Amino acid sequence: MDQRLMQGKHMEKILVLLHTEADGSLGRAARECLSLAASLGKYDLAISGADASAAANSAEGSAERILCIAADEFAVPRSSTDSAAAEMLIRTSGATLVLAPGTSRWSRALPMAAARLGGVIDTHAVGLEVVGDSIQVKRWFYRQRIEGTVARSGSPWIVVIEPGAFTATEATPRQATIETQSLELAVSPRTTVEGTISTAAGEQTIRPDAALLFVAGAGWTKKQKDGQVHFADAADRIQTFVHKSKCSLGSSKSLVDLSSEGEAVLPFLTHLHQVGQTGSTPRHRKGLATCCHGEEPHVVGWRFINERRAVNLDPNCGWARGKADVLYVADAFEVMKELNALLD
Amino acid sequence: MSIETEAGNDVNGVDAKPLDADIVCVGFGPASAGFLTTLTKLLQAPSTDQPVESRAVPGMPPQILCYERADDIAFGVSGVVTRARAIKSTFPYLNTAEIPLSARVGSERLLYLLDPHGASRRPLWMRLADKVIKGLAREDYSYEAPYIPPFLHKQDGFIFSLGQFMQWSGQQVMFSGTAQVWPGTPVSDPLFENGKVAGVVLAADGTEIRAELTVVGDGPVGPVGRRLDEVYGMPLGHKRDEWAVGMKMVVDLPASCTLEEGTVFHTIGYPEPEIFGFFYVHPDRVASVGIFVPSWLDSPVRTGYRYLQHFITHPAIWRHLKGGRMRSWGAKSLLESGRRGEPRLCGDGYARIGEGSGSTNVLTGSGVDEAWLTGRLLAEGVHELWREGLPFTKANLEARYVRRRRTSWLEKESIIAERARNGFQRGILRGFLGMALAGFTSGALGYNRRRDKPARPLEEFYRGRLSAEQVRDIRAACEKDAQPLHDALMEAAGWPAIEFDGQLLVSHQDALLMGGKVQAAPDLPDHVVFRDPDLCAACTNRLCIEICSGEAIHAGENGAPVFDRDKCVHCGACIWNCTQEVAPGVSNVAFCAAPGGLHSAEN
Amino acid sequence: MPYQIIVCGGIAPDPLQTLEPAMGPAGPALKNEMMLPAVFDPWAAHALYEAAHLARQFPGSSIRVVTLAPKAKLQQVMMTVAQKLPFELIPIDGPGGGFTDAVEVSKVLAQAISAIPGIDMSQFLLFGGWESATRGSGCVIPMVAARLGIEDCFLAVDELKIEDGALVIKERVEGGLLQVSRCSAPPAALAWATGSLPEPPNHPQTGMANMRAMMPALQRAKPAGLTGEGFSVPQATLPAQQRQTQVVKDKPAAEISRELLEWIKG
Repeated sequence: MDQRLMQGKHMEKILVLLHTEADGSLGRAARECLSLAASLGKYDLAISGADASAAANSAEGSAERILCIAADEFAVPRSSTDSAAAEMLIRTSGATLVLAPGTSRWSRALPMAAARLGGVIDTHAVGLEVVGDSIQVKRWFYRQRIEGTVARSGSPWIVVIEPGAFTATEATPRQATIETQSLELAVSPRTTVEGTISTAAGEQTIRPDAALLFVAGAGWTKKQKDGQVHFADAADRIQTFVHKSKCSLGSSKSLVDLSSEGEAVLPFLTHLHQVGQTGSTPRHRKGLATCCHGEEPHVVGWRFINERRAVNLDPNCGWARGKADVLYVADAFEVMKELNALLD
Repeated sequence: MSIETEAGNDVNGVDAKPLDADIVCVGFGPASAGFLTTLTKLLQAPSTDQPVESRAVPGMPPQILCYERADDIAFGVSGVVTRARAIKSTFPYLNTAEIPLSARVGSERLLYLLDPHGASRRPLWMRLADKVIKGLAREDYSYEAPYIPPFLHKQDGFIFSLGQFMQWSGQQVMFSGTAQVWPGTPVSDPLFENGKVAGVVLAADGTEIRAELTVVGDGPVGPVGRRLDEVYGMPLGHKRDEWAVGMKMVVDLPASCTLEEGTVFHTIGYPEPEIFGFFYVHPDRVASVGIFVPSWLDSPVRTGYRYLQHFITHPAIWRHLKGGRMRSWGAKSLLESGRRGEPRLCGDGYARIGEGSGSTNVLTGSGVDEAWLTGRLLAEGVHELWREGLPFTKANLEARYVRRRRTSWLEKESIIAERARNGFQRGILRGFLGMALAGFTSGALGYNRRRDKPARPLEEFYRGRLSAEQVRDIRAACEKDAQPLHDALMEAAGWPAIEFDGQLLVSHQDALLMGGKVQAAPDLPDHVVFRDPDLCAACTNRLCIEICSGEAIHAGENGAPVFDRDKCVHCGACIWNCTQEVAPGVSNVAFCAAPGGLHSAEN
Repeated sequence: MPYQIIVCGGIAPDPLQTLEPAMGPAGPALKNEMMLPAVFDPWAAHALYEAAHLARQFPGSSIRVVTLAPKAKLQQVMMTVAQKLPFELIPIDGPGGGFTDAVEVSKVLAQAISAIPGIDMSQFLLFGGWESATRGSGCVIPMVAARLGIEDCFLAVDELKIEDGALVIKERVEGGLLQVSRCSAPPAALAWATGSLPEPPNHPQTGMANMRAMMPALQRAKPAGLTGEGFSVPQATLPAQQRQTQVVKDKPAAEISRELLEWIKG
C-alpha cells in the first residue's frame, strides 16, 4: 500500500494515537499500530498516559510530530480521562485518519472521543487498504462469520486496530530531534481505578499466552455408552489436563450455560471460557477440541487457531469436513485419560 | 413513566397468581392461526353493534392468549402444497410476494419411482409391474403418470414454507393488538374443574391460565389434546392408530437445476412402496423435498432420515438436487387416522381444532388448509356466542362450531377419505386400490379396517433377504456400539451406503445442526421419559430408537433406549412407535410438554 | 436510591442460523434476513438481566429498553423477552442488521433517549451489550454515552455492585484480568459482557402486562430514518477456510494420546 495513501485524492493526515501501559512502556498492540503507520508513510504520533514523553522516545522513529498528555490523572485506564485526552490530541493534531490499537483502554475511550469530535470510528480493523481513491478498512461482522470492508467519508476517522492483526516491528530508538509537545488538560474524574484482579477461574481462564487452547464441548456432560453421565470423571480429565499441560481452557456455549446455572455439572467453567458465539475468538497456535460437535458458530471461535485437532465420537461431524487438521474418531474420556497419564 | 403502573407488576418480584383470560389457545399451528386471524378480523370489523367486551376482565376488550411450545412461532414443519381454499377465503387477495418462500402452484406431476438398487421390499406383482414400467420409464428410473387423479391435484393452490406462513400470519394477529401469541411457552395440562375445562396449566412454573374457552390446537402429539382424550375418551369406534413421520429438507438448488418456481412433484414407489415423497420448488431457486414414513410400513427398523437420503438420491430427484445445499431440515408426526381419529370436538369450556381434531385428509394428502378451516369455523362460532352473550358450553359449541364443521367441505371430504387408507393394511396393491376406489367413488367403495397387527419380529421381516444368523450378528454388533439397527440392516439388505458430500448428504447429526438448528433449554428435565425401564429392557423391538427423527433416543446399556433432549425435534414419533404398554392404550413413552427443538423458520 | 436504567439492545439472528451475505444496491445484507429467526442480542440481554437484578435491589427503579430494529421482527422477539421482567419498550423501526453504521445508530439511540421525559441524570444508568452479535463494533454504548454527556463509561462489564451509592464495577481487560473501578454516582454507562446472572425464567403475567403497553408502542414506532450517508460496506464475503481433514478411525486411545502428546510438544 505504501505511499499511495498520500498520493490519492484523500491526502489523509494520519495520527497514531497510543497510550502507555502501567509500567510506562508501549505495549505490543501499540507497536503493531506503529508498524502499520510506518508502512503508510508520514504520520504524527500522540501518546497519553504516565511517562508518555519517555514512551515517545522509545517509539519507532518516523513520526513527524509528537504530542503527549502525561499528567498523573491520565496514568490509569478510565473513560473520562482517556476520552478527554484522545479528543484533545486528535483535535490538536488536525488528523483526518487516526490509527489506534484496540486495547481495552482505547476501546472504551475512543468511541466517546469520536462522538465528541463529530467524527467516525471503526473498530476491530484487521486490514487497511486503498481501493481506487478511497481507503477501506477490513473487519469482521456477525461474530467473525462474515468479513467485509468499510469505506467512509467522515472525518476524523478513527480506526481501531485489532491486536495481532499486524506484525509489530521492534522499536528502533528515535534518532530525530523532534520536540515532544506536551498538552495540558484539566480533568476532575468521578471514577477511581482500584486495580485489577484475576478472575476466580484463575489459571483455567482463556490465557492468550498459552501455546495450546483446549476446548471442552457439551459432550463431556452427555450420557455415555452406559446411559449414565460422568461429571466427576469429565471434570477430572479436563482439569488434570489443563493443570499438567499448562494449556488454556475454553468451552462451548452450551457447556458454559450448563455450568453457570446452578447445576452441578462442571462448575469450574464460566462464561470467560466461552469460545465463539458471544465468547472470544482466541489466537492460540494450537487447538484441541474434545466432545464438541462441529457446528458452525462453535467453529467461528476457532478461526484464528492455526493447528486444529479434534477428538469426537462421530466420524461425520462437522470437524471432519475441512475444519480440523486431524479428527480422531474416539471416546474423549478414554483418550484424555491416557493423555493425562502420559503427561505425568 | 413508572414501571409499577404500566407493567402492573413490580420489578421487585414475580407474582404467580393465576391469570384470567377469555380464550386460551394451546399451540400456534395453522388451526390456531386460522382461529386467531378470523376472530381478530371479526372483532375489528366495523359494526354498529356494541363492541364485544371481555367477560374475564370487564371493561376490557376480550383477552385472547395463545401459547406455543416451540421457541418461535415460525418453527413449525410441513411440506405444504395446498389448494388453500380456506386460507384464500380468509385472505381473498393473498399476495405470495408478502410471504417468503411462497409461490403459486405451476406445473404438477405424479412420478412413479422405480428402485434402481433393487433393495426395497416390493411384492412380486410390483416387481413384475416394474419390469413393464421400466420399458416406458425415463433413464432416471421414473415414470410420469399421464394424469393426476382429481382428488390429489393442487392446481390453483400455493406452495408455502409453513414456518414463514405462520410467521406472517402470527405477525398480523399480533399487530392487530387483539390477541397475544407467546412462543417458548409449553402447556402441560388442561385445567379441569367440576368436569369442565377451565383453562390450562403452563409447564414452566405451573401457572394456571384460567379461561372460559380453551382452544386446543396442539397437534396430534400435544399433551393437552392427549390428556383430554384420556379423560373424556374417544367417540365410539374412533381411534388414533395410523400415523406417519413427515421429514423434509429445504434445499438451495444447484445452478444446473432448471425447474421453475411452482413446480410440484408427488412421488410413489420409492424408497419403499409405502413411502410417498414430494418435491416443491419455491421462489429464488429453493425447494422443499421430503417423504412420509407411515405406520403401515411394518418394518421393525423404520427410519425417516435414512429413507429421506435414499429418496433424494433417487436419479429422478438427484438430477435436480445434485450440487445443492441443505438450508433446513425438520420432521413431524402426522395423524393419518383422518375422521376415524376425530376426538370429541368440544365440551364444556373447550374446543378441538386442527390436526389433533382429526382434520387431516389422508386421501388428498392435505392438512394445513383443513386445519386452518377448523380454526376459522370455531372463530365464527365463538364470535356469534360472544355477540349473543352465550357461554361456551358443550351445547353452544356443538351448535355454533361442530354444526358448522359438519356442513363444511371438510366434513364431506373427510367422509370420502375415511376408508381411503385401509387397504394398506392388506398390502400395497390394495392400498393403492383403496385410495383409488375412495377417490373415484366419493367414498362409496373402500376397504373396511382390519384389526391391528402386532409388530413383526426383525427376523421375520427380513426373511428371504437376511438369515436369522445375519440379523442376530447385526443386532449384537449394533448393541455393542450403541448404534441403531437400521443402517446396518439396510446395507446388509442391499441399500447402498450414503456417501456424504457435506452439503446435502450429511450425517443425521449434522442435519440437526446445519438444517434444524436444534436446541434445548439447558435447565429443564427430560421431556421424554420411559415410564417403566424394565419394559424397555425386555423389549426386543426398539422401534423408538430406529424411528427417532433426531437420534435423540439411542441405545444405552444393554440396548435399552436412552433419551438426549438436546437432539429432540419434538416430532413425537416415539409415542406411537413404542410397542410396549403400561396400561391398555398407554405406551411406555411419556412425552411431556417442553420448549426447544427445531430452530429453523423455513420448514 | 432508585435508578432510571435504559438498556440499549437490538436483535440478532438466532445463534445457530447459517449466515450468508448478499450484496444489494444499498450494500450488503444477510441473505433471507427477514426469514431468519431472531433473538434479543445476547450481550444486551445480559445487560437487561443485570438491570432487572439492580432494579429489584432498589425499589422504585425503572427499566426502559430502547431498540432499533424492524418492528415486525422486534415484536416477535419481544414475545420471549417481555416474559422475563417488566420494562417499558421504546422501539425505533429500522434495520437491525450488522451492516449499519454504529456512528449513525448511536445518534438515533441518543436522540430517542433524549426525547424521554423525566430523565434524572443523578439516577441515570445507560446499559447495553459490550458488542452486538451483528455489527460487533463495541462502539455504540460509549458513543451514546458521550452524546448524552455521560463521561463515565465501562466496557465489557462483568459485575456491578452498589456500595454507599458508588458504583463498583468490574470490567474485562487484557490478560484474563478484571479491572475494578469505583464511580462515585450516576450517570454512568455500562456495556455488559456476560455478567453472572442466568436468564430469568419466563413469567406469563409479566409478559401479558408488558405487552399491553408494548404493542401500542410497536404500532406507533417511528422509522429511524437511517441514511447511511458517508458510510458504505463495499464488500462482504464468507471467509473461505477449508482444510484437508485427516479422519483417524479405529485407533486405540493409547495410540491417539501418544500422537497428541507429540503434537502438543512439537
